[in-house]
Amino acid sequence: MNNGSMLRFYGCFTFLGLLVGGLVVLGYYKDEYREWKDYQRKFVQEEIHRAATPQQKAIAESTPVEVRQILLPELNRVDRCTTCHLAVEDPSYGGYQQPLAYHPQHEQHPFEKFGCTICHRGQGRATTTADAHGAVAHWDQPMLPLQYIQASCGQCHEAADNPAAPELGQGQQLFETSGCRGCHKLGGAGGNLGPELDKVGTRRSPEWLKKHFLAPAAVTAGSAMPPQKFSETNLEAIVLFMLSQTGQTAPGYYASMKVIPSADEGQRLFQQKGCIGCHTVAGQGGKVGPVLDDVGLRRSPEWMLQHFRDPQSVTPGSVMPKFGFTETEARALTEFLLHLRERNLASTFPSLMSPVERGREIYRKYGCAGCHGAEAKGGVPNPNAKTAEQVPGLIRVAEGYTKAELKSRIVKGQREIPALEPKRPPPPLYMPAWGAVIKDAELDDLVAYLISLKPKGEDLGF
Amino acid sequence: MNAPFLTRLWQKFARSRVGRSIFRVGLPQSNLERSQAMTSSFLLHIQPAKVHKHSLKAGYSLGLGLISLYLFIILIGTGVLLMFYYVPSTASAYNTMKDLQFVVSAGLLVRNMHRWAAHLMVLLVLLHLCRVFYTGAYKRPREFNWVIGVGLFLLTLGLSFTGYLLPWDQLAFWAITVGTNIAGYAPVIGTKVKYVLLGGNVVGQEALTRFYALHVIVLPTLALLMVAVHLWRVRKDGGLSRPDESGEVVEQIPPGQLPVNKSYGLMELARGTSPQVGKNPEDEVFSWPHLVFREILLFLLVTAVVLFLAIFWNAPLEEFANPIHPPNPAKAPWYFLGLQELVSYSAFWGGVVIPGLLVTALLLLPYLDRKRAGVGRWFARERVVANSIFTLCLLAAIVFTVIGTLFRGPNWDWVEPWRQPPAITEGH
Repeated sequence: MNNGSMLRFYGCFTFLGLLVGGLVVLGYYKDEYREWKDYQRKFVQEEIHRAATPQQKAIAESTPVEVRQILLPELNRVDRCTTCHLAVEDPSYGGYQQPLAYHPQHEQHPFEKFGCTICHRGQGRATTTADAHGAVAHWDQPMLPLQYIQASCGQCHEAADNPAAPELGQGQQLFETSGCRGCHKLGGAGGNLGPELDKVGTRRSPEWLKKHFLAPAAVTAGSAMPPQKFSETNLEAIVLFMLSQTGQTAPGYYASMKVIPSADEGQRLFQQKGCIGCHTVAGQGGKVGPVLDDVGLRRSPEWMLQHFRDPQSVTPGSVMPKFGFTETEARALTEFLLHLRERNLASTFPSLMSPVERGREIYRKYGCAGCHGAEAKGGVPNPNAKTAEQVPGLIRVAEGYTKAELKSRIVKGQREIPALEPKRPPPPLYMPAWGAVIKDAELDDLVAYLISLKPKGEDLGF
Repeated sequence: MNAPFLTRLWQKFARSRVGRSIFRVGLPQSNLERSQAMTSSFLLHIQPAKVHKHSLKAGYSLGLGLISLYLFIILIGTGVLLMFYYVPSTASAYNTMKDLQFVVSAGLLVRNMHRWAAHLMVLLVLLHLCRVFYTGAYKRPREFNWVIGVGLFLLTLGLSFTGYLLPWDQLAFWAITVGTNIAGYAPVIGTKVKYVLLGGNVVGQEALTRFYALHVIVLPTLALLMVAVHLWRVRKDGGLSRPDESGEVVEQIPPGQLPVNKSYGLMELARGTSPQVGKNPEDEVFSWPHLVFREILLFLLVTAVVLFLAIFWNAPLEEFANPIHPPNPAKAPWYFLGLQELVSYSAFWGGVVIPGLLVTALLLLPYLDRKRAGVGRWFARERVVANSIFTLCLLAAIVFTVIGTLFRGPNWDWVEPWRQPPAITEGH
């Protein structure tokens, strides 16, 4: 072993040793430097700056620089947003620049119970701005733009009943009345001409949805969906409602908050639990219990609540059973009874409505208007259909069909629509078979409605 | 010789009472100690005390086998660290990847090292196989060590493939779905093999559990054992192949010729390559320091490369695995993309016959190609036929892999990688 080769060895050892050591240091530095640490230091500085007493200053100075997280096992989430957004709970930071701004109106949704991403989306586990805000490759839940934040309310609460999310309710209303369900399934109900919408809110961006509503074929080549003529506010509302469709069901505690105890919900419960078996409202119902039309004038809300919890506790000898209503249900029913007189029950309460009125609701419920137009007047384009390139209106079906024939048309549908010119592509819209969806009583009511549409004063004069 | 300060310090420690109790021999100063350094150390004694100068030529072996071994060691080290965090459940696996990236100190670095070392190991083991082929080093007496080597190559693929599923992202889920589907094409046993691998018909929790067990226990243990046997055989078969060796194998002396009434030492039982009989000592140098130092330097170099890759490039992690949204196209891990390309022409021929024949040919190779001419030299003229056939197969494998990797877009249609792939619109 000569000196020269030994020295070469030592030289290589030194070089490679330093290289590996240098890389380890570089790797360590790169790992140690995290942008959230800068934000935390800024926060600590602000706290020190604000400190009025030496004690406060000492507390501020000893604030540890560390990852903060909200563990939400029930939601299968870990939200580390508060690692940078340190002052979300401190009102004195109102009006500060992000990430140090205060989050107003969080009293009903405390952070330790809800975290952040359940409403704002984004990537809760991430600790860099880009990754956390979620507009990065391979993360399918970017943050919801603030203007659409109401969409998140729909995950836990009924869209229609939420006084804090009026636009969401408006969106749902639009969805149900514009005939969307004629082609699209949502929550298991609807047609199959278009795609299911159960998870559309996680698949599509607001921009995409907007473009799609105004000109579907421009975004999705070959789409048969007719362009929708929504006003700007309606467009925003329906986009909002679409964004709220995440297909996720909130677990446990969060699901129990689904029902907002509104009068609408109370009315649904009143109908569902069969209250009119014993009680009369608007002139209809059983005679076992008292008439309820004026109960709002006779009883206080507190009395009613207690009555729903335990009827005998406020009315000794009452034969009304303990239904075991939840507190929310009891409050919803109370709300309904209090406002009973202001509500037009005859037109909204299915068992008080006439078959024709119920049929109109069913026509809306299943989205028939999507193709056959509002009030069945027709006018929706269906290129190359023999019927004037439109989906036919239905106001004159009474002249050409018996009730049985109409029912059969609805149940079986019509897959092949006669073409105006055989050489052009076949008409994109067709009549789905509704037999598996619309059944029995609903079908009777729907047909009654369609028959009733025949214009008055146009009786067969020949 | 004026040894540097650290060396002198080390020397002092090694010669101290504590040092001697650990190392038995201090830093060797004489040839005797250089031999003892090798034979008295558990870690070093798998190598001979002296090695042939030819074995040290970097241009001959390129150190490919050693680099593979080092990558394996790095993989074990980083793998154990990853195991401290990883939970093999479909609900948690992906989250642990995110936690490694965002909150675990050096978590991302360790994962990156593991990922890149794994890819490198597949590549290096393959290159090592090529080196052994092109130098004819699989011939007598090393036939069986070649077979073990082919087994190690397959084990490496198995290790990489089972690890591929563990992050439980889209990439993992669909690569394993495609990969196990290829296994399903084998006749008669294919679907059974797939079922046993996955613990079901589709990739799910059962598959993850099995892949995890295979990845962290079964395959590494097997690989470690086989690496040990592989190295041991290298020594027993006479060290690295070289041009001037005789090609004799260890021969048993017929019982009649054995001396009587003796306890048999190795020298009396065996002849041929293994014991250093009839070798010219001038061609050999002491393993300490010539071999050992080179090995340590190479280890440092490999560590540096892996660290460098891990610092500057992140391991991929796609969306959470979604069984109802396959990416288009869904691709197997890169080393199986040649196979997937072949399968796209014919599942049976591409997925079963050709790979089956290739593996069989590799295993039988040393027993079919038995002439000793050209051993120990790269691209020896005497081996032009064998080398040409091997090169053709290798080129075909590379071409198909490159096509499968870069030239296949949605629906496995041909795309040029330098052109924007056509946008995929969701059909109504």
